[in-house]
Amino acid sequence: MRVRAVLGSVFASAAILAIGWQFGSATAASLQGADAGPASTPTPGPSSTPGSSSTPGSSSTPGSSPIPAPGTSSAPSPSPSAPQSGTFTGAVESTRYGNVQVQITVANGAITDVKALQLTDDGGRSVQISNRAAPILRSEVLKAQSAHVSSVSGATYTTDGYLSSLQSALDKAGL
Amino acid sequence: MVGVTGNAMSTARHPSSGGAHDRAHDYRRRLRRSDMLVTLFWASLAAAVAMFLAYGGTARFTSLGDSVTNIGIIAGLVGTDLILVMIVLAARIPFIDSTIGHDRAIAVHRALGKPALYLLLAHAVLLVTGYGISSGYNPVAEIGPLLAIPDMPLAFVGLGLLIIVVVTSLVAVRRKFSYEGWHLVHLLSYIAVLVAVPHQLSVGGIFAGGSVERAYWITLYVLAFGSIGTFRFAEPLLSSIRHRLRVRSVDQIAPGVVSITLSGRRLRSLHSAGGQFFVWRFWTGRTWWHSHPISLSSVPTDDTARITVRDLGNGSNAISRVPVGTRVWLEGPYGVFTDAGRTAPKLAVMVAGIGITPVRAFLEDSNIRPGEATILLRASSQDETYLWDEVLTLAKSKGATVYIMVGKRSTGPRGWMPASDAERGVTLRSIFPDLDDSDLYICGPTAWLDLVEAEARADGLPEHQLHMERFDW
Repeated sequence: MRVRAVLGSVFASAAILAIGWQFGSATAASLQGADAGPASTPTPGPSSTPGSSSTPGSSSTPGSSPIPAPGTSSAPSPSPSAPQSGTFTGAVESTRYGNVQVQITVANGAITDVKALQLTDDGGRSVQISNRAAPILRSEVLKAQSAHVSSVSGATYTTDGYLSSLQSALDKAGL
Repeated sequence: MVGVTGNAMSTARHPSSGGAHDRAHDYRRRLRRSDMLVTLFWASLAAAVAMFLAYGGTARFTSLGDSVTNIGIIAGLVGTDLILVMIVLAARIPFIDSTIGHDRAIAVHRALGKPALYLLLAHAVLLVTGYGISSGYNPVAEIGPLLAIPDMPLAFVGLGLLIIVVVTSLVAVRRKFSYEGWHLVHLLSYIAVLVAVPHQLSVGGIFAGGSVERAYWITLYVLAFGSIGTFRFAEPLLSSIRHRLRVRSVDQIAPGVVSITLSGRRLRSLHSAGGQFFVWRFWTGRTWWHSHPISLSSVPTDDTARITVRDLGNGSNAISRVPVGTRVWLEGPYGVFTDAGRTAPKLAVMVAGIGITPVRAFLEDSNIRPGEATILLRASSQDETYLWDEVLTLAKSKGATVYIMVGKRSTGPRGWMPASDAERGVTLRSIFPDLDDSDLYICGPTAWLDLVEAEARADGLPEHQLHMERFDW
């Protein structure tokens, strides 16, 4: 093995790995920003995330900023006192394995159904995990009547996205 | 027409008569190309890992299950990259073959086989384990859900086929097969590699639709299978149709050895250099289904070519009995046992047995000055002195010195020469006093050649002055 071949291989490989690393870090950072966004905004007022998420610059990620769900602006509950009825659509949550969005049906202030509109679907394995986790999460949520349920093991990303979207739907319903 | 092709031939051939300067230039160019290939190889492995990093990098090593899964994914990416490199190496791409030689390309191909299989086995085991840890099943119980993912059953089929291919290629196992049987099994590897593609694109997210990674990965497959399709199938077919080769005569030149003269057209446009070989297919009922690498035993004219072959196996045996007029297909020319590989001012040639055939053509084709070349002819008995008369005539006309060694091999330290010579104290250096300034061309049976090579290396002959053609067939 000649020196030139060795050095060429080392430098080319290092450069390629560095580029891959760079892309990976950028993706991870943007996803973290998106995750932190809607999950921690129970306050209806300002649309930007308050200081609760400590990641600086999370609001500066343009591509993956939380997309307001249809009807967000018109749906906010005027008075949280009266028990609500109807269907409420949660925000779209971006995760590493795809977007998650749920819709809840509320009757007299009780959650009667949770429907997953979108689930993590980044490849067949991801779809399989989603399909396993969704029914478990649904029954847990219906039992607990809140987003405070334990994570489904092996489906962390799906759970996180599911519960975040659920929380935003609950906020809209004033629950 | 003849004149034109004749010209093309002489320009295509390396200017061996141009002397040391051109030789050094050619050698440096081959080195550059070889270094570039090595760099490309490692870069492709790095790219496989980089694609994983770009997909999420270290952020994904958050739990034990994920970590095991991720290492499994990396193993799969690197293993598959190795498989694609193996296909490229076996494709007989002219650029690669003229740079490092087909035999070295195949040696690397062989060397990569086991690492590739181990990585892909690790890929399967690690993913089943990692998925199992994540979902709380034991690895065996995880296989069921895994098979339920679309495209996964095919991937398991691919892995199974790959195991069969590699196991049948292990030296110990391969000996139990005929070449043709082994080769037929080996063709399964194409299927094994292709059926694994769908799961790569669909199960994980790395090669998501529309991504650069997906485009790159598919490009690698297209390049690998494209080069196989081009250089192993399309080009030989077109070349066979174009040159219309038929057997003109079959002459027995020694017990079990025949020279086959072929007639065709525009054979000079094949640009074969003396010492190269072609892979031949003889279209008779008993021989059409297997092909044979056989060297030209003389420089072809525009409408005739000659090969010389010894009965080594059933296939060769059948070849020696093909009738006149048989249609012949060819694939080639292959091999770097040519004048173009020279790097030193003098020439030392060692030949044993049927290895004489490429050397005969090599000597005819090379421009050697009187006194430049020394040739050693080796045979274990007078019956095996094939084509020696022709080589002696050529050597005389080119002013080359010839030594001959006939007799059973020594059981002592110098096993490549007869016992009587070994006892007299003959060595590589006593035959070739100018060895350090010589290119050493060795051609013969593997066992004999290995012994010569070992002595040449022990004498400190640098790699680039060693040129070998092993006759395994």
